[in-house]
Amino acid sequence: MAENDERALQKVSLQSNDGQIITVDRVVAERSLLIKNLIEDLGDEAVMNEAIPLPNVNEPVLRKVVEWCEHHRKDPPQTTEDENDSRKKSTEIDEWDQKFMQVDQEMLFEIILAANYMDIKPLLDVGCKTVANMIKGKSPEEIRKTFNITNDFTPEEEEQIRRENEWAEDR
Amino acid sequence: MSNFKRASMAGAGPKSASSSAMMAGGGHSKSGSILDALRATTMIDTKPVLPAEILVTILDYLPVSDLLRFARTSRRMREMVYDDTRWVARLRSMGVWDEAEARRRFEEVMKRRREAAEQAERERLAAAAAATGTTGGSMPIGRGQPFPGQSLELFPGLQQQYPTPPPVITTTLFDAGEEELRRKRIAEEQKKKEEAIQAAAQRRAMEEMEGLQDGFETMKVGGGQGGLIPTAPQKDPFSDPEALLNVIKNARSIRGHARQEYGKIYGALAPFYFDLAKAKSHTDPVVFRVFRDPERQAQMLANLRTFAKSDWAAGWRQREEKLATMAGIFESAVLHEFETGYEFWDVDGRMHKYAHVLDLLNGGTAAVELFIHKHPIFTDKEVLANPMDCVNQALADDVTLEPSRRFFEVLTAKVNEQADIIQRVFPKPAEVFWLLMGKIRDDILTDYVTPLFDETHERSLAAYVKAVSGLFEQTLQFFRTVNAPKNEKNPKEQEELAKEYALKVFEQHLDLYLADELDYFTQQAEAEVGEWEKKLSEQDATAESFYMGSFTNRQADKKDFLTSFKKVVMMPVSALPSLPLGSPFASKPATTPTTATTAAAANGGELQAPENPEQSHPVSPSLAAPVTVDRTGSPLPDKAPTDELAAKAALMTSRLEGIKSLFSIEIALSLVHMAKSSLGRAAVFIQLGGQAGGEAREQCEAIFVALLRILGSRHIKPGFDKAVAHLSQYNPREVSHHDKGGVAPLVTFIELVNVGDLISQMIDVFYEQQLTTPKIADRNDFLDPAGLAKKKFEQMLDESVAAGLNKGIDVLMDEVEYVCATTQQPTDYNPAMTTDPFNDAASISGMSVTTEGTTSTTTNSSSNNNNRKSRYKSGTPSIWSLPSLPGTPPTPGGSSGTTTNSLGPQDIGPTATALRIRDLVSSHTSMLTGSTDKSMLDVFNGEVGLRLFTAVCKHLKRQRISTEGAIKLIADVNLYYEYIRTLKNQDLLAYFKALRELSQIYLIDAKHHAKEMATIIADNERFSGVFRAEEVYEYAERRADWYNVRKEVERAMYGLECLVM
Repeated sequence: MAENDERALQKVSLQSNDGQIITVDRVVAERSLLIKNLIEDLGDEAVMNEAIPLPNVNEPVLRKVVEWCEHHRKDPPQTTEDENDSRKKSTEIDEWDQKFMQVDQEMLFEIILAANYMDIKPLLDVGCKTVANMIKGKSPEEIRKTFNITNDFTPEEEEQIRRENEWAEDR
Repeated sequence: MSNFKRASMAGAGPKSASSSAMMAGGGHSKSGSILDALRATTMIDTKPVLPAEILVTILDYLPVSDLLRFARTSRRMREMVYDDTRWVARLRSMGVWDEAEARRRFEEVMKRRREAAEQAERERLAAAAAATGTTGGSMPIGRGQPFPGQSLELFPGLQQQYPTPPPVITTTLFDAGEEELRRKRIAEEQKKKEEAIQAAAQRRAMEEMEGLQDGFETMKVGGGQGGLIPTAPQKDPFSDPEALLNVIKNARSIRGHARQEYGKIYGALAPFYFDLAKAKSHTDPVVFRVFRDPERQAQMLANLRTFAKSDWAAGWRQREEKLATMAGIFESAVLHEFETGYEFWDVDGRMHKYAHVLDLLNGGTAAVELFIHKHPIFTDKEVLANPMDCVNQALADDVTLEPSRRFFEVLTAKVNEQADIIQRVFPKPAEVFWLLMGKIRDDILTDYVTPLFDETHERSLAAYVKAVSGLFEQTLQFFRTVNAPKNEKNPKEQEELAKEYALKVFEQHLDLYLADELDYFTQQAEAEVGEWEKKLSEQDATAESFYMGSFTNRQADKKDFLTSFKKVVMMPVSALPSLPLGSPFASKPATTPTTATTAAAANGGELQAPENPEQSHPVSPSLAAPVTVDRTGSPLPDKAPTDELAAKAALMTSRLEGIKSLFSIEIALSLVHMAKSSLGRAAVFIQLGGQAGGEAREQCEAIFVALLRILGSRHIKPGFDKAVAHLSQYNPREVSHHDKGGVAPLVTFIELVNVGDLISQMIDVFYEQQLTTPKIADRNDFLDPAGLAKKKFEQMLDESVAAGLNKGIDVLMDEVEYVCATTQQPTDYNPAMTTDPFNDAASISGMSVTTEGTTSTTTNSSSNNNNRKSRYKSGTPSIWSLPSLPGTPPTPGGSSGTTTNSLGPQDIGPTATALRIRDLVSSHTSMLTGSTDKSMLDVFNGEVGLRLFTAVCKHLKRQRISTEGAIKLIADVNLYYEYIRTLKNQDLLAYFKALRELSQIYLIDAKHHAKEMATIIADNERFSGVFRAEEVYEYAERRADWYNVRKEVERAMYGLECLVM
């Protein structure tokens, strides 16, 4: 317990790609498996004295991610092995997370990428679910707009795909 | 395909890349040319909105409809969505994906595709030339695409209800392989610089053609695989709902087509599913309106439940719960119907119908439970018998299994009846039947069996073990013979289940029973042996008191001590003819003559009579007399002995006679019988197999081990020990008759060995029959406790026999020595001489006694002669005496009418003593043959031979041998030699060969051939190392004329003359 308390007091500095340093509690930082493994690999000393560079994450995104981690610091640690059962993924997004994800789309994607990079699976899942919800009920054209996808189908091709998947069109 | 490329770009700064891609995409997407489209694709690929793996994750959260709409946004997205694994996962979640089937199909398709690939190129060109829509049969391009466009054929025709535009034409679906193929084609076309539009048009045309052929193609493939859905498109579920009902069952596992397969299922079930999820009450769902009969409703509900497993988009939990609620409502309704039918015993009607409905819905557990729970058999008075009948109808402490047999009979009849009903009612009768049996087992059998066991256990162990084993057999029989509905998949099932069920009934009793069985056997066996021992000791006591009782008044102990003292201590010193020592016998002569005669007659010892003339001739006065002295006091055992010593001897004889009953074959037999019945009872449980069977098997072995333990260490071992003890107490001088041709205790001991061997063989047979044959014990397993115990038992027997034989040899040799000492006439080897005082020390003292009693003049004189000689001898420093009377003719009185061997050199046969000894030894050794281990027998024979040799040598040294007597001696030695030869022991033979050589030194006329004699004495080789020169010299000293020739010989030997006398 003593060790845990000590750890709880430890701070870790994270450095975004634009040079900003954000200091957080170690437990918070360790929501990221990337950082957790890094600390384990390099040893406490090396990490405590230096900021950990995160070259793929810019400052606003990092702040956002840290905010999420702070909120979820008490969550049970994520299991390392991937969940094979796809069902388990599709739990509903909780309210706080829903609010948290109410950001512009660019930021949403950046958070997802950062979560992916920093290996924070729950955050990544929340992000993906949010994106999935954005897609729900939209027509292909709307989806393209939302996600900046270029339509590279000929109209015939597109029609063909529609037809061959007609079975899935509900109601 | 291009996954790697995309993934590698994923990490790049997303902002700039996406914007540039937007521009690029925007610039080119307007162009209709394939080339441009392709270029655009590559451009988009480099624009990582989100990396592929993240997109894939996102797609996982999308409902199917959104997923497929997403596929329409771009090629890349389509690939991602169409990815087979995504759909395989869904099929798998419903449990309809069969990997093995998929692989098989895939291989077939690959083969077909290879064949088609070559053709396809030609055909395609031809098709291009033909341009538009002729669907001529000469265009089997579709063969390369085996599963096109099925999605629409299966389209569930619910369009009437759900306003989806009905499909007009079937279209081709391209799997990954096809896509590649087409791209290649495109590239080719580009190389040929064909017009892009033209190419597109051409492709459309092709697709149309392929589409038209699709139905045909599918049929072909379907026919090949068998068991496919009829591909009639647009089937109305109202008119043909079978397609809907069976849609899950008919799903195929085809690689690259998982999406289409899932599409079929989704198309058929999703409308019902989502409708049901939204339904407010149980009357709402379309599924209940479309399908009116309960079977189909149940089938659909079951299908929907399976389908729900592939739904993992947000909100699935609520949908599934809803479905479960609906199914629950439906189930309880059906169950109610079933119950009503059950109450009316409407077997073939409602019961049958609703049992099947419930089975379709969820396996019908509820119906089965209801059926079993409310089954009338559990309250049937006829079945519920009173287990106490088994005890009450039997005699005290016993149990009869007749009532239980009747109970099982009734039960079997009832159960068979039920089996028939179950078969009529339930779709899976075997399962239901065994469930019912389980309940019968728990409620009826256990209730029957347990109180019975408790009762019998209280009453007696014998009844308990009998009841458990018997009832177990009946139970197992019951489970085996009931007419269980057949389960085609597992025809052996009943046997296995029968064992399992029987075990369940008896599980709680098994440990106790097995322990008790062993206890019971041990107890019984111990009791048997104990009783026998008690009887024996009583017998012993009575016998002893009978013998001892007749002379308790006399000072028996004292006399006993004296006699023993005389025999053991005084004998060696009795060279001094001290008359007073014979005093204990002083009173005897009066009785002796009469008893001795009757003894010889009663013994029927006609054969031996000539050899033991002394006994039948109490008047024998002279030389022979001393030999008889010892026996004069021994009366017949059939008369109450008056003499204490004789009484002891008789007692001993009785004891040794009793050796036979030291352990009895009857006891062994009854023990084995007991073990057999115990084993038989316990062995029933072995067939259970598994742990219980193993325990039973171990217990069976334990019973066997206990049998051997009791039989061995409790019965045989003490018997042998006692026998050996008796044997070691045997003293030939105490035994009354030596004329039986054998040493009585040894003979009885050998008989004991025979009995032991018989028992051992019996055990062996028992082991083979009861343990090895039914595979209770493994003969080849050297750690097997039964095998070990058996080995130990045999070893114990062998050791006892060995110990006994060891004693036996001693006894035998005592006897041999005794015979030598008592029957060998001094004149045998020295016919020229009447008596030799140093011939036999024992005989001298005895002789003096007899002489006094018989008062014969001749013996008197000879006795005087002896005395004189011994006096004379005492003056000489050396142990041998001078052959003082070389010329004295043999006294006829001593040997007349008794033996012929002393009649002179004309008779050259072996002496009676030698004959007797040979007979004695050979009869004993031959008696053992076959009754014990061969190697042990060899050792025994070897030992006997060696000891015989020693005895003969010792005997020889006590004799005085004249040249005439040497012939006799040689004859004797030859007799021994011949006998030893039959033993086939080379080492032993060497000794007797040497002895034969040695005997020749007496033949030499020493006076004239002293030198030769000396040579012989010194010739070690002649005796092959058996005798050393000194020893031979010692033997040479036994020559009757030794003093006459000694000087000559010694001179010859040492070449010296200065020998101090």
